[in-house]
Amino acid sequence: MDATKKSDETTIPIRESKSGKSNYAPTIVATTKATVEAKGGWKRGVAIFDFILRLCAIAAALAATTTMGTTEQTLPFFTQFFQFQASYDDLPTFSFFVIANAIASGYLVLSLPFSIVGIVRPHVVGVRLLLLICDIVMVALTTAAASAATAIVYLAHNGNTNTNWPAICQQFNDFCQSVSGAVVASLIAAAIFMFLVLLSAIALKRN
Amino acid sequence: MMKAGPLELGDAPKSSTPKSGVNRGVSILDFILRLIAIMATLGSAIAMGTTNETLPFFTQFIRFRARYNDFPTFTFFVVANSVVCAYLVLSLALSIFHIMRSAAQGTRVVLILLDTAMLALLTAGASAAAAIVYLAHKGNTRVNWFSICQQFNSFCERISGALIGSFGGIMLFILLILLSAVALSRR
Repeated sequence: MDATKKSDETTIPIRESKSGKSNYAPTIVATTKATVEAKGGWKRGVAIFDFILRLCAIAAALAATTTMGTTEQTLPFFTQFFQFQASYDDLPTFSFFVIANAIASGYLVLSLPFSIVGIVRPHVVGVRLLLLICDIVMVALTTAAASAATAIVYLAHNGNTNTNWPAICQQFNDFCQSVSGAVVASLIAAAIFMFLVLLSAIALKRN
Repeated sequence: MMKAGPLELGDAPKSSTPKSGVNRGVSILDFILRLIAIMATLGSAIAMGTTNETLPFFTQFIRFRARYNDFPTFTFFVVANSVVCAYLVLSLALSIFHIMRSAAQGTRVVLILLDTAMLALLTAGASAAAAIVYLAHKGNTRVNWFSICQQFNSFCERISGALIGSFGGIMLFILLILLSAVALSRR
């Protein structure tokens, strides 16, 4: 049998054996070890985009954490009965928000090496699957923190007349503004996480 | 039989590969989990949507009736759970398609995308409602928000219970996306 090679194709002429009756048609199982670089092109592009999005998500989650963690406002007057100082740990929801966004930022920093492995070796399935699983959990965590904080911020802006909960934003203006900004940054991080899940799912396709 | 490096003469197997069998099992599990998630989110929406408690006394200034639409967050909760429940019912068709054709890839990616969007919506509704429920139970003395659960007992119990089904739905959604990803990645 001769084998002629051109680029990544191999042509193998087969001679039928006339002696002896065979019950099965001869099937050639050919394996080559040549890596197919051209087909991995779009997967590598998806992996690079994934890496860039992770960097953006780190910025968003860190911004949310630090903005919420450093809010504190003290009003310049006081009476005997009312508190005129507001900081993020007055509301347990905001403490949860800071912790959840800190976890998301830490996870993103730790997942950067895995993302780089996904760029260098676009065909490895295990890395993509691991990143997808962890990203889904992070979507849920970040969305939970952001939306719980949104509910409290909405209440702070509008109050609730049915339960006699006053709107505190009319007094604590700066506190409300920085808290609202932190919530927006966290929602952006949650949206980026969702996009990362989609990219990992696309990169898991076989072709 | 001639062996020359990576070339071998052999038989082509005729039975279906074990890979498609596992994919089919994964798709069946996906279908079952969708059914459970439908019941969980529907139960949550109904439990929150039918809250109505009126205290047997009243004064001139204070309200003594509590319903879910006194709180915009709970209205969002009911709407989000209803939307997710309707989506799950519609996605049962796609799930059945995946049971029949286990090697489908493009539709699995579409299903992962839609499931992720619905996971985000469900999580948003559930955790916003959880923040308000926590406030209703504990109140907050620093901002003069009083806890209402001491007066409205059964309202508070109902809204707390409605959260359970919704958070169960979130766990099921995470499992669903995981199953789709595993079925997609098997080669």
